[in-house]
Amino acid sequence: MIQTIAQKEFVSTLRDRRFAVLSGLVLLLLLAATLVGRASYRTLQQERQLAQQTVNDQFRNQPARHPHRVAHYGSFAFRPKSGLSLLDSGVDSFTGSVAYLEAHQQNSINFSQAQQAGSLIRFGEMTVAFVLQLLVPLLIIFLCFGAFTEERETGTLKLLLSQGVTLRQVAWGKIVGYSRAVALVVAPALVLAAALLFTGEEFTGGPDLVARLVLFVVGYAVYFFVFVVGAVVVSAWQASSRAALITLLGFWILGCIILPKATANLGATLYPTITKAQMDAEVHEQAQHGIDGHDPHDQRAEALKAALLKKYGVDSEEKLPVSLAGVQMAAGEEYSAKVYQQHFAALNATYEQQNRLSNWAGLLNPYQAIRPLSMGLAGSDFAHYVHFQQAAEAYRYGLVQRLNGLQASMGHGDKERRLGADTWRELPVFTYQAPSLGWVLPRLLLPVAALLLWAVGLCWLGLRLISKTSVA
Amino acid sequence: MTYLLEARELRKQYADKLALRELNLQIAPGEIFCLLGQNGAGKSTTINLFLGFIAPTSGAAFVGGLEVAANPLEIKKHLAYIPENVMLYPHLSGLENLALFSSLAGFKYPESELLAYLTDAGLPTEAVRRRVGTYSKGMRQKVGIAIAVAKHAKVLLLDEPTSGLDPKASNEFSELLRRLSEQGTAVLMATHDIFRAKEVGTRVGIMREGELVDVRPTATLNAQELEQLYLTYMN
Repeated sequence: MIQTIAQKEFVSTLRDRRFAVLSGLVLLLLLAATLVGRASYRTLQQERQLAQQTVNDQFRNQPARHPHRVAHYGSFAFRPKSGLSLLDSGVDSFTGSVAYLEAHQQNSINFSQAQQAGSLIRFGEMTVAFVLQLLVPLLIIFLCFGAFTEERETGTLKLLLSQGVTLRQVAWGKIVGYSRAVALVVAPALVLAAALLFTGEEFTGGPDLVARLVLFVVGYAVYFFVFVVGAVVVSAWQASSRAALITLLGFWILGCIILPKATANLGATLYPTITKAQMDAEVHEQAQHGIDGHDPHDQRAEALKAALLKKYGVDSEEKLPVSLAGVQMAAGEEYSAKVYQQHFAALNATYEQQNRLSNWAGLLNPYQAIRPLSMGLAGSDFAHYVHFQQAAEAYRYGLVQRLNGLQASMGHGDKERRLGADTWRELPVFTYQAPSLGWVLPRLLLPVAALLLWAVGLCWLGLRLISKTSVA
Repeated sequence: MTYLLEARELRKQYADKLALRELNLQIAPGEIFCLLGQNGAGKSTTINLFLGFIAPTSGAAFVGGLEVAANPLEIKKHLAYIPENVMLYPHLSGLENLALFSSLAGFKYPESELLAYLTDAGLPTEAVRRRVGTYSKGMRQKVGIAIAVAKHAKVLLLDEPTSGLDPKASNEFSELLRRLSEQGTAVLMATHDIFRAKEVGTRVGIMREGELVDVRPTATLNAQELEQLYLTYMN
């Protein structure tokens, strides 16, 4: 019976011109967003790969120089885009993509697309995720708001039930039928995205990307299912189609616009972040407590010198087998790196607290459950950004300390000497390995649980309510 | 005797209105019982109570000996229903609508049989594959009749079934009811049409303000007498 009703709903929906127009528009937007996302991905990825290659070449081709000059010359780390970010660019447009790696300080990641774009980007980009998260639910609302009210208004519900069908069977039939219609709209865009992902030469596919895409599709399937069930339940409970439509649109505005803004504002109020100027001032102040490698008269530098003289059993800096300045630089770098890492960790922890609040709101709002899940699977969420930030810092610290080690090994009088150009070619360049799905999945447990709770809870409670709805 | 339809002290009270006052009614196999009365007299409420679409305030309704409230699904196997204004799914054809409703009732007919049910109900052959959205009210009504007949139910509940039918189609419908009655089908038909009630019914009941005020065998009075009786109660 459920299949018979589902087939009727599916066929009726396909023959409805209103659905044809609306779904045509949504499908067009999805396809356009996929192609635009792919073009944008390709451009940015090529730019970043080229830029990374260029700075790596420049770094390796430096002339004979003092190692500390090389440490100050520095390098850049460009964040490569993840394959699925063509579907959901997440926070990528607002976080930076390039880190300047230099001695003594950990720079923040700069050059976000939002900095370079107009103010319109604040309204959101036309990505596949935008269409899937906001517009497809609207399509579902317009498709399903009359599921029961129209049947009741026209009297077909009585005729249907007089055949010996239960309200619950009617509801499930409608849910299955509408779900098929939604799948028909969304599937072509996702198939196109998959084709682009796995055939484009710039995409490094692999099982990780396949698994991410599969989970991405499953996540959205559950999200749409929640909307279909919710719309059918509301339609069963409202007295008229008009009331059902207004109620559903009210839920959409609340869930997709008001609640996300409200929780973001609440998060920022409960867990305020410090400004960049404040952070710079605090880092500068704390870094003062460490060794200043550039100041030979620094008291802590003097203490380190004394310890070094004692260690090597010599009475003057000139007799040391290592460059005192190099050792001081390494010690200073170790201290300042810790200061920076502590401050960046504290700042990231504050952002995490804000994000966590929004993630918990997923229990109240399915939109806030699918968003972190979608971004997380697409590799464009805050956690992936922090992963890159930490990888860039780990590389910077390792590079600078290696250069400090080279300086130390030059012995006394190193400032007057240079190391050959070949030296720099032996140093590792920055390469970034994005985290695997296994790394990201534990971070997505809350949104996954919230989405499943919504689906199971709505089916359980909603369909119980439907059984008690009036027919006559 | 086993009645196919029975109401025992059946009462329906809404918050501010008594829709049905202690109805006692028995309809035997082969009987066509016509309920006459003005709008709001309780005719549709009676039918909805037999269908199980509304719960009685007190008393009980029985279909084929089964209490409706206790067996809401089981009783639907025994009855077919035609509303005053048959509304079907406008994006499906008459044939598809009939196939759908028959399938839900547990009957999977080949297309030739479906076509026969529709044409027997008076739907023109050229219309059966057209979308119902293009049908007139009378054509929809005929599909509704075909749906009811295809269910082979022991009980027919009809709420103004000839509304919208032209005289020829109405006569054909009366013929159909007689045929079904001869096969043992019990019919409860709510109608405003006194002459149709006299012509097709075996008994008529007059309802006023939720109360069945009179019941007469149609054989005992002619159409004019029935009209006079009806007007007497209405005044």
